Amino acid sequence: MITKLDSITFDTLLQEQDPFGSGKGRFDLKDVQLITPAALTQLAAAVHALSGDGLHPEIIIEQESVRTYLLRAGFIEILRAVAAVEPPISHIMSYDRLRGSNPMLIEVTRIETGSALPQLLDKIVWVLRHRLKYRKYDAFDVATGVSEICQNTFDHNRGTCGFLAMQVYGKGAKRFLEIGVADYGEGIMATLRRNPKNLDISTDVDAIREATKLGTSEHEDPTRGTGLYHLLEITYKHGGSIQIRSCGGKVRFRMDKKVGWTFVVPPMPGVQMAFTLPAKTRA
Amino acid sequence: MEKMEERIQLGQYGPQLWTRERAREIRNAVAKTLESLGPGDVLIMDAKGVEVFDYSFANELFGKTLLSLPHEYPGRFFIVENLTKYTRENLSKALEGMGLMMIEKKEKKLNLLGKVNPIDEQTFLAIARPKKPMTATELKEELNINLNAANERLSKLTSLGLARRQNSVSAAGREQYEYSVLA
Repeated sequence: MITKLDSITFDTLLQEQDPFGSGKGRFDLKDVQLITPAALTQLAAAVHALSGDGLHPEIIIEQESVRTYLLRAGFIEILRAVAAVEPPISHIMSYDRLRGSNPMLIEVTRIETGSALPQLLDKIVWVLRHRLKYRKYDAFDVATGVSEICQNTFDHNRGTCGFLAMQVYGKGAKRFLEIGVADYGEGIMATLRRNPKNLDISTDVDAIREATKLGTSEHEDPTRGTGLYHLLEITYKHGGSIQIRSCGGKVRFRMDKKVGWTFVVPPMPGVQMAFTLPAKTRA
Repeated sequence: MEKMEERIQLGQYGPQLWTRERAREIRNAVAKTLESLGPGDVLIMDAKGVEVFDYSFANELFGKTLLSLPHEYPGRFFIVENLTKYTRENLSKALEGMGLMMIEKKEKKLNLLGKVNPIDEQTFLAIARPKKPMTATELKEELNINLNAANERLSKLTSLGLARRQNSVSAAGREQYEYSVLA
């Protein structure tokens, strides 16, 4: 029984309910009491992928607190055209006006081009500085990393989009932030293999590992293939962790163990990332 | 002939510069300016007022411009000035990642940023220091190296758009090349 849906239990959900293989596109979240931003963006990407396959996915959410949170987090609005929520939610408009008003939250936001990014990154910088005690340039570092992963969602995919969400949890020194970014494109392996140099990459986990190395790209262009490398550097520098999931593979990097743990996971289109950062303690 | 110097104020595009897309817009302005310049002229990217740019932005604007210089705008110089400690660190990392280097002007002094190897740096500083252009023979004496090595080092810096080469005539009446950095 999944009560907390996060970037780890999302794979359990895919394993147990098989929304991609069953042909139904059904997500039963009736026992879920908490959903993290990374899981929200993964779910948004999953539902859009299923919709692209001609299904009309169904998400069952019974807990009133979760339904309210999903409304507040902009999730219901983002799914309105492509999925059904059961039981149906009727009072969507009353939450639209609140969008952007909670400083601890970035609602699920669609990313299709770079034009919306500066505003999102400004908000992330603000949260890091004022809620997690990051110095200005440390906050810029993190925004730089987030910018790189967001750009990947539209730079490497055609006809799909990405999603971003953010939430601050905890209090005082135990405060931390999670950012989820997800897309439902072709995934890292297929993208890298567009470059003949990368044809020997044969698993999703290998593709993720290769993508974090400097210069690995779908393009024969020395100005490409640096984003994930720098993102990992930033994650380590600020004591955070990052999980990169692509199709059927997942790698978790944590600053104290730089090797990265690898997992084979139930297949799902696209690339999904969960980025976690702790609060800073200032003397 | 008087060398021309053009300046683009990067700060006019905002203090926080994110995304490759944004850099692409600015690179169009850079390309137009480079087209208006002749060999030996200088384009200065003035980063005053810029607080941050991401790696994609730096790669697209600085990386692509540097890569285009030898083929599309041979002999032109592209230099950066007024970087903060933070933007310098990020630009340097971005250039390192692409295996590139460029000239930075800092408090009237010139230095190299990016993937700088010690030999290139030594050569660059040797020709940047004097007020007049330097020949390969003079570099050979200055650095106590052989003439072939001096010629190779200078050719490399010239091909990377980091040094200017011009014809001159020696005291003995022979044609020779002289090298300088923005002099």
